[in-house]
Amino acid sequence: MSAADPAFVPDATVEATEVSVWFGPKVALTELSCSFGPGVAGLLGPNGAGKTTFMRAITGLLPVNSGRLRVAGGDPRRDRAVQRSIALVSEDEAVPGSVSARELVHYIADLHRVADSGAPERALATVGLLDVADRAVGKFSKGMRQRTKVAAALVTDPDVLVLDEPLNGADPVQRANLIELFRRLGAEGRTVIVSSHVLHEVERLADRVIVVIQGRLAAAGSHRAIRDAMDDRPRQVLIRADGARRLAAALLDLDSVAGASVRDGEAVIATNRARDVAVALPRIAREMGIRLTEVRPLDDSLESLFRELVR
Amino acid sequence: MSEQSEAEARSSRARRPAIAVTGFALRACFPRKRRWGLLLPCAMAILFGLLARTDHGTASEGFARVADHGLFGLLLPIACLVIGDAVMGAEVRAGTLPFTWLSPVPFRTIAVARWAAGTLVAWVTIVPAFALAAVVAGVPEAAAAAAAATVVGACAYVAVFVLLGCATRRATVWSLGVVLLGESLVATALVSVAQLSPRWLAFAVFGGLTDVPSDLVRDGLARGWGAAAQLVVITLVCLTLSGWRLGHLRVSGSSD
Repeated sequence: MSAADPAFVPDATVEATEVSVWFGPKVALTELSCSFGPGVAGLLGPNGAGKTTFMRAITGLLPVNSGRLRVAGGDPRRDRAVQRSIALVSEDEAVPGSVSARELVHYIADLHRVADSGAPERALATVGLLDVADRAVGKFSKGMRQRTKVAAALVTDPDVLVLDEPLNGADPVQRANLIELFRRLGAEGRTVIVSSHVLHEVERLADRVIVVIQGRLAAAGSHRAIRDAMDDRPRQVLIRADGARRLAAALLDLDSVAGASVRDGEAVIATNRARDVAVALPRIAREMGIRLTEVRPLDDSLESLFRELVR
Repeated sequence: MSEQSEAEARSSRARRPAIAVTGFALRACFPRKRRWGLLLPCAMAILFGLLARTDHGTASEGFARVADHGLFGLLLPIACLVIGDAVMGAEVRAGTLPFTWLSPVPFRTIAVARWAAGTLVAWVTIVPAFALAAVVAGVPEAAAAAAAATVVGACAYVAVFVLLGCATRRATVWSLGVVLLGESLVATALVSVAQLSPRWLAFAVFGGLTDVPSDLVRDGLARGWGAAAQLVVITLVCLTLSGWRLGHLRVSGSSD
């Protein structure tokens, strides 16, 4: 590890050193090394990348087969006192269905010996569940269950908050509220680790991103650096315009355009500097008097970025 | 704060999580459907009491035979299996155990508190049902013995099923295996295995506290309070192992 290594932070509260986890013959994490400190960090990766396994290992729910995990200075698996500092919002929908949200949050507060008797009500209010807090959690929608789990996590006032796909099932308003909440918690100096397989979601949430693919660390840094890595890779851009053929011919003069094909009034250009094309395209179209109706990348999925990062 | 009052406050706070775990288990692990399900063995116990009246021997002999095969041989293990699985195995399978696991509460406290919740439910349901069965059978003098044997038998059984709940992925299958193969087959043949069987020991407690026909008395097994002491030991061993096992559990989610 070097001081400039973007996978590590200087004031780490969560440190993973060559962590490997496997389930029988299936390897879930392979010598993963990184650290997390105060602020919001995103854990990004496609489905099955090992994000959930990593988060469960961080909280101590899963033992690591080799390597070392330290959270708040202790081993989350062996040192029960460390659990005072950690909270997890898991991805799965498992909740004790027959208890109410209020009962669940009070229970978690009791387990952690939260002295502030008003903390459970505040946690429920923070996630907007106060009005329905006496309803059985089993009858909640997926988004409400997630918010119940967020309230249960917040009531313990944790230093390290591990959120596995916390926005799943949330409606747009609640999604925005939760993003604001997580950012505020990070700004307060807590270590907030959020996993997602949606890049733009992580961009809104996290200042720093760790990309995990096939159980390995694939990239780390600011989301801008990850986005730049995305911009610098070869990609195809679809352009719909009333003069697509003329426009494609003009774009071929640019150094950043490697090729073009035209069919049925739409052009597909190949570029390895998408940002340059994004700047030049409107200017050229305006100069030629061509009206653009649609411009979109054809392979801008997170999976395509992941494929590039591991190539 | 003085040292004494600080210690008192700490002690008071120390009790809180254990009570919380027990209380939560009582609410979360016994939804309405399961509560109704527990009434079934209770009703069957009363029916077994009635069945004892059809025995050709004396009322006490008839009840002793029904207690051996029906109450302690069938209903006690099945009811405790449902209860023990509810407080541990079902939570592990459903993926809801992390709510309790992810806390500073020591694992042994979690294991004991879950066991306490299960045992409490067993005491409230099957203990009165078994005592009532004795009354219905026409041997009210055996009601106290039936209740006492059920109290200690339920303690051990729930502890065994709590241990299986956190030690195996298919706790229900393993628990049924222990009851049907271990106790009904192997322990019937081998008295050394019966020494570890809550079913045989619970009946031995009953047999030691009241009169039972000589053919129901099993040689090589302690009777009465001696058998009860053995059940207590089994309970303590299972709870110790459960606490250890919880600390080594790979806690997975419902989607895993």
